[in-house]
Amino acid sequence: MSEPNISAVLLEKGNLKMEERPIPKPGKNEVQIAIHSVGICGSDVHFWTDGSIGPFLVKSPMVLGHEASGTVCQLGEGVTHLNIGDRVAIEPGIPCRQCAACKGGKYNLCPHVKFCATPPVDGSLCRYYVHPADLCFKLPDNVSYEEGALLEPLSVAVHACRRSGVTIGSNVLVCGAGPIGLVCLLAAKAMGAAKVVTTDIDAKRLECARQMGADVTVDVTSRDGRAVADQVVQELGCQPDVTIECSGAEPSIHAGIYATQPGGVLMIVGCGRQMATIPLLDAALKEVDIRGNLRYCNDYPTALAMVASGQVNVKPLVTHRYSLEQTLEAFEFAKKGEGIKVMIHCDKTKA
Amino acid sequence: MSDTNLSAVLLEKGNLKLEERPIPKPGKNEVQIAMHSVGICGSDVHYWVHGAIGDFVVRAPMILGHEASGTVSEVGEGVTHLKVGDRVAIEPGVPCRYCDYCKGGRYNLCLEMKFCATPPVDGSLARYYVHPADFCFKLPDHVSFEEGALLEPLSVGVHACRRAGVTIGSRVLICGAGPIGLVCLLVAKAMGAAQVAITDIDTKRLEVAKQMGADFPVHVTTRDGREVADQVVRALGCNPDVTVECSGAEPSVQTGIFATKSGGVLVLVGLGPPTINIPIVNAAVREVDIRGIFRYANCYPTALSMVASGQVNMKPMVTHRFSLEQTLEAFEASKKGEGIKVMINCDKTKA
Repeated sequence: MSEPNISAVLLEKGNLKMEERPIPKPGKNEVQIAIHSVGICGSDVHFWTDGSIGPFLVKSPMVLGHEASGTVCQLGEGVTHLNIGDRVAIEPGIPCRQCAACKGGKYNLCPHVKFCATPPVDGSLCRYYVHPADLCFKLPDNVSYEEGALLEPLSVAVHACRRSGVTIGSNVLVCGAGPIGLVCLLAAKAMGAAKVVTTDIDAKRLECARQMGADVTVDVTSRDGRAVADQVVQELGCQPDVTIECSGAEPSIHAGIYATQPGGVLMIVGCGRQMATIPLLDAALKEVDIRGNLRYCNDYPTALAMVASGQVNVKPLVTHRYSLEQTLEAFEFAKKGEGIKVMIHCDKTKA
Repeated sequence: MSDTNLSAVLLEKGNLKLEERPIPKPGKNEVQIAMHSVGICGSDVHYWVHGAIGDFVVRAPMILGHEASGTVSEVGEGVTHLKVGDRVAIEPGVPCRYCDYCKGGRYNLCLEMKFCATPPVDGSLARYYVHPADFCFKLPDHVSFEEGALLEPLSVGVHACRRAGVTIGSRVLICGAGPIGLVCLLVAKAMGAAQVAITDIDTKRLEVAKQMGADFPVHVTTRDGREVADQVVRALGCNPDVTVECSGAEPSVQTGIFATKSGGVLVLVGLGPPTINIPIVNAAVREVDIRGIFRYANCYPTALSMVASGQVNMKPMVTHRFSLEQTLEAFEASKKGEGIKVMINCDKTKA
């Protein structure tokens, strides 16, 4: 090993360049990883095109990428559960471990979390990266590097399905058939959902959803939430217990509120506009709880187990592949919104 | 005991009259009650003034009143746990008992619910009223008829604080110091809340809240939800774990979202406009769950035991008293919004 540490750096909004960076050394309880597969997320693209998401502004150069896997190539002091050569998936958020949120088991809400590729923290779209060993999960031989990288979005789905109470027999509405809607569909089915209905405005995405197990798909042609809700209930044959909203679009949130049965749950996963005008009274009077999601916590092991056992097949999500050197091309393609998941391969030595 | 059934009837919007009605007979599993105390609720006033609340429209004459207590005067077939002379509080909503919501324990969501004084169902503001015996709760000797009637709003407080997860050590924000805000304050304190902040635009109501145990009254002078949230956090010294929103006002719901700590809960008790503008992404990415409150289920026994044990003192809530004959005057007083709870005494013979 010892390639130059080519890294995909967002210098400032709109300016993505490949740069050589020093090869980082693992400190106590850390490991150095030769990065293999990194998926591009909508947030990476958004930081590139808009320079910010909410309060997070790109103020200085930052390495992109947070959906990653690779091979352990150096161990820091105190690391016992991993060996050099181990193939790992990387859970990208590093919490402080000391605050009340961390100690209470909700480390995703840690106000001091260092999250890959959320400014100002560097991500993992490079050749060599260092990370706390306890947040690196060893991949069994039957799980590929790409599947390891996909554990990140899959963990978002696991977190959402768990928090919404999806369980055996649930009837679930998933709004949106983009990558997140699709992993939520997969997770819901794996968790025992009886029927999953997926909505989207794009027929091609709905076809993917059908192939991935959606029992019912609804092509959204109206921006009237109530009309869409009626369509969903009619096609599903009942009101869903749980709605997982993955688009962030206001009419879709409306549809989720109107469609969900009384006493049910509406999960907000998609991030849209900061302020939304919604029929909150409707939700309140029928005790449809509205819950949000921030990433995941204690979900990576479950996501890994689901993939390793075959309960969930995430392979079809990867539709396009590029090398690290082709990162800009990969981002240009991802920006178009075609395909599902664009994967970047960073390790010249491994397939 | 009266030999006529004088009843407060809302003939149509704006037209409230006292009428004689037949004295109802108790059927199987029912009891006849000589009514004693009936509190006036904002919803009773609203039906009188506006003729409708949401989809519930006054289309035919309807007896008002649903916060009630009285003395069992006749027992129907099959009733074993009550006898003539028992003083009871009446839980006003009678669900179907057969549907999934009923069988699942969330009978407040029953679609066939018959609720006193929600059109077209007659209420209990009369001399005599008949009700299923299992929804009548015997009052111990030291619990007054008025306290019995107040169990209705108190049950709303119990349901709200339960669904909010208020517990020992909780830091609670209550928005609104009207009757509902006040019962939520009492319940929160009884459930062990460490500190309760309460907001209102009216300083007189805040003074009452302070006397009833609020630690931090916060006077709202702006309609900027975020500013009020900052005010609350400064007063409380931290972000509340739970917010119980009792006003229904848009800026107040916004305050509830902005103020509540990450991973906390906002419950919506107050009913406001059908659609409101809220910072939904803020709630979602901080996992501030939003839960609606629709009346109560399985709360009356708890409310009764809280009053019977002295954990909660509801007596200061009653500020105005009228006789059944003075019902119109009572409603005029309630409409003005002065005082807290207006109580109507329906029993000619008892104090």
